[in-house]
Amino acid sequence: MKELSALTSQCIRCGFCLEACPTFTETASELESPRGRIYLVRSALDGKLNWQDDVKPHLDRCLGCRACETACPSGVEYGNILELARDAIEGQRPNRPRQALLKVATDPGLMRLQAKLSTFLPGHRIPNFVSRFVSGVDAEVDKPQIPSDWHVAPLLAKQVPPVRGEVYLLEGCAMRVLFPRVHLATRRLLRRVGYQVREVKAGCCGAMHAHNGGLDEARERARDLIQAMPDDLPVIVNSAGCGSTMKEYGELLGPEGVSFAKRVRDVSEFFLAEGLAKKLMDSPGLTNRTTYHDACHLAHGQKIWEAPRKLLAAVPGLDLVPLAEADTCCGSAGIYNVTQPKLARQLLDRKMRHIEDTEAEIVVLGNPGCHAWIAQGCYESARKPVVLHLAEMLEASFIGLDALSD
Amino acid sequence: MDVERGWLAELMGFLRPDQVLTGAAARRGYDCDAYTVDRFPPVAIVLPESTAEVAEVVRWCNLRNVPFTARGAGTGLSGGSLPALGGIVISTKKLTQILEIDLPNRQMLAQTGIANKKLSDAVKAAGLHFAPDPSSQTVATLGGNIAENAGGPHTLKYGVTASHVVALTLVTPEGDVVQLGDRVPGGPGLDLAGLVIGSEGTLGIATEAWVTLTPLPNHVITALVAFGTVREATESVAEIIASGTIPAALEIMDRGILGALKAAFNLEYPVGTEALLLVECDGDSAELVKAEMATVDAICRSQNCLNLETAEDEVARQKLWTARKKGVGAMGRLAPSIVTHDGVIPRSKLPEMLDTVYEVASRHQIGVANIFHAGDGNLHPCFYFDDRDPDQVRRVVEAGEEIMRRCIELGGSITGEHGIGVEKLDLMGLMFSPADLEFQAQAKRIFNDGALCNPCKILPNQKSCVEHKSRWRGMAW
Repeated sequence: MKELSALTSQCIRCGFCLEACPTFTETASELESPRGRIYLVRSALDGKLNWQDDVKPHLDRCLGCRACETACPSGVEYGNILELARDAIEGQRPNRPRQALLKVATDPGLMRLQAKLSTFLPGHRIPNFVSRFVSGVDAEVDKPQIPSDWHVAPLLAKQVPPVRGEVYLLEGCAMRVLFPRVHLATRRLLRRVGYQVREVKAGCCGAMHAHNGGLDEARERARDLIQAMPDDLPVIVNSAGCGSTMKEYGELLGPEGVSFAKRVRDVSEFFLAEGLAKKLMDSPGLTNRTTYHDACHLAHGQKIWEAPRKLLAAVPGLDLVPLAEADTCCGSAGIYNVTQPKLARQLLDRKMRHIEDTEAEIVVLGNPGCHAWIAQGCYESARKPVVLHLAEMLEASFIGLDALSD
Repeated sequence: MDVERGWLAELMGFLRPDQVLTGAAARRGYDCDAYTVDRFPPVAIVLPESTAEVAEVVRWCNLRNVPFTARGAGTGLSGGSLPALGGIVISTKKLTQILEIDLPNRQMLAQTGIANKKLSDAVKAAGLHFAPDPSSQTVATLGGNIAENAGGPHTLKYGVTASHVVALTLVTPEGDVVQLGDRVPGGPGLDLAGLVIGSEGTLGIATEAWVTLTPLPNHVITALVAFGTVREATESVAEIIASGTIPAALEIMDRGILGALKAAFNLEYPVGTEALLLVECDGDSAELVKAEMATVDAICRSQNCLNLETAEDEVARQKLWTARKKGVGAMGRLAPSIVTHDGVIPRSKLPEMLDTVYEVASRHQIGVANIFHAGDGNLHPCFYFDDRDPDQVRRVVEAGEEIMRRCIELGGSITGEHGIGVEKLDLMGLMFSPADLEFQAQAKRIFNDGALCNPCKILPNQKSCVEHKSRWRGMAW
C-alpha cells in the first residue's frame, strides 16, 4: 500500500470536500470533515498530535463513505488514508469491543447463532449492555433478523438461454445469513443472461476489517478468497462494500491482488454489460413507485451511478422517482450504526425524510448494511416502504413482487 | 491552561457543550484556512446557532478582552479567517438556513453559513440563481463571499458579491445587532452595507443577508479554445473585449494547469497546446448568443488557435468547464501545497505580466501554473511547493510579493477577489499612502474601536500585530 504520509500530502486544503461529508454537515465541525481529519493525521505523523487522544475520536466518527473522494479535485485517496490511519491506531492500542463486534459480524456461524439467541431478548433493538460496551451509549440499531426460506419455482430450461459461461459469486459473511434471497435472485438473473455460478467454498472478503483498523486480517481473508476463486472467471459481487474492497485488493496485497481485482464486477455493471436490460424490457414489469439509494461503496467507492438506474429504467411500467441526496450515506456504514449510534440515527432520519418526500413504495439499493438500516427506518416510518436489493427488484420484474414474499 | 478552562466554563454558560470545540485537535484543525503559509491556533472554536448567540459570544469576547475571528467554510486564500492573535474562532457553519424566498421580487434571505451554491440550487426550478460563482462555490459560504466581496468566472458580466447583496444583519464588533442596507435599492442613509462587504470580517460578523436572484440565461454556448502560445490566448481576450462583446466568462489556463489536469483526470488537449481559453456567451436570444460566439470564433482563428470546441447542452458544457473548475485542485497531484495568488492588471498588460510570473517563479525555483479570469485582468498564479520545507515557503512568499509589486507597477492591484487577509498586509503600503491608510483605519475604528474583531487583517501596523506576526508568518510546519 502507499505510504500514509505521501497520501496525506496530496491534500491542498481547498475544502471542496466539506459539503460532501455527512458528518461535517451534521456537526458543522472542521474536525469531523475530510480536510480536518487529513490534517489531524498529518499532524500526528509529524508528532504534533497524539494518535489516541487527539486523532482517534475524529477518525472513529468518520463513516468511511468516501463521498469526499468524489468531491476532491486533487484525487486524495481518503479511503486509503482512513484505513492506514485506523490500522496505525489499532496497532498501538487494540480496541477489544470493536474486534469482538467485527468477529460476530463477519462469521456467518456466529452471526446466525447471535441472531437466534437474541430472539429471546426483549425489544427490537440490540441490547443496551452490548451497545454501551461498544459505543458507550444506548443502541439505535435493531437486532439482526434471519429471514425465513424463500420458495420459488425453479427456472425452466425454456425460460433461459443456453449457458454461455461461468462466474464466481461472492456469498460473503453477513449477506449470506441476513439476505440469502439476494443471492438466490442474483443466481436467477445470472442464469437469465446465460451464466451459471461456479460453486466454491469461500467466506468473508475482509472489507469490514480493512475499514476498521485490521489490515493484516483483511489481507489474510483476501488471500483466502483469491485462493478459493483461482480461475480467470468474473467474480460477481452484490454487496457494494465488499465489491469496493475487492476491486482494491491490488492496493491491499500488491501484485497478487491486482489480477483478481480486475475480475471483480458489481452485479449492476455485470448485468448491464451482459444484456439484462433487454431481457427486462420483455419481462412483465412492475408499476410501483420506486426510488433508488446509492450505497456509498457503489457510488463513491466504485463510481457506479448509472448502471443500476439504467437497469431499473428497463423495467416495464416502473414509476422510478429520483431521491434527493441519493448518494449521501444513510449512517449504516458497516458497523458504524453500532459504534456511533447517535450520528448514525441523525443520518438515517435525514435519509428517511428524503425517502418519504418521494412517496415511493419501494426503495432499491445494493448493499446489505444500508439494506438493514434503511429497512429499519422504513419499518419505523408512517408509510412503511419496502426495501429491496437491486437483484431482488429486477427478478421481481420477471416473477412479480408477490413471488418474493413466498 | 487555567485561563482556557475558565473561558470554557463561561462560554458553556450560554452554549451547549457540542457548540464549543477545544483541545489540541481543535486548535490544530482551525489554525489556518486554505491559505496555509501562515498558521496560528485559536484557544477555542464556537458554533453559534443564531444571530443572538453570535452577539452573545462577541459581547463575552469584549468583556474578557478576547480576540475573535469569524470563519465560514475556511476556503479563503489569503488567511482571512486565520485567528492571528489566537482567541476564539466563531464558525458560521451552524447558520445554514434559507429563511425566505421572495420570487416575485427575486430576492432571498439566508443565514450566512450556507454554501453559495445552495442558494442557487434552491431557486433553480424557478429559473433563477445567485450570480457570484467563486470556484469554491459548492462549499464557500455566503458570509465568506460577503467578507471577501467574492467574484468568480461569471462576474465579468454579472458583477461581484457587492452587486448581489442588498441588506445585512450584522453583529458589530461590540456585540450589537444592526440592520444595514435595504431591500429597496437606492434607499436613504449611508451605504454601510457597501462598506462592510469586502471588509474581510473586520467590521463585524454578518449573520443574515438579503441577496438578489438573477434569471438564468435561456441560451448558453461554451467554447474551449487551444492556443500554441499564451500570448495568442491573451491577445484574443483583449480583442474580444475590444470588439464590444462581453462574454459571461473569459478564462485562461496555462500549460502548468494542463499538466495537472492530465495527471488528475487524464484530460488530453491538442499537441502543442500552451494555453486554453474558455469562453462562455449567454443571453435570452439564441441569435445574439450565436452572433457573439461567431465573433469569438473569428478572433480566436485570426490568433491561430489550434482547436476550438463548442458545447450548448449542459452535460457537454460542464465537461468543457472541468478544466477550469478543477484546475487548481488538480494541482494537488503536483505538490503537497499550493498558494493561489490574486493580482489584477489592465487586460492589455496580460502578456507582459505572464512573462514576469514565469521569470519570477523560475528564479525562485518554484513550480507555477496560471489560471485566471482573463476578461477582467484578474490573474491567479498558483505556486506549488512542499510546505514542510521552510526554505520553499520563504521563496513562495518572496516570489508572490515580487509578482504583486509588478502588478502595481503595471497599474493594477494586489487583489481581485481573494482579499488581503494576512497574506498581503505588507503590500498595502504600496497601494495606499500613509494618509489614505490612516483614513481607512479611522473608518474601521467607527465599527471596531477595541481591535478584537478579526485583528491583524487588511491594515498593516496594527497594535500588537507587528510583534506577533513572527509567530504566525510562515508557520506552515
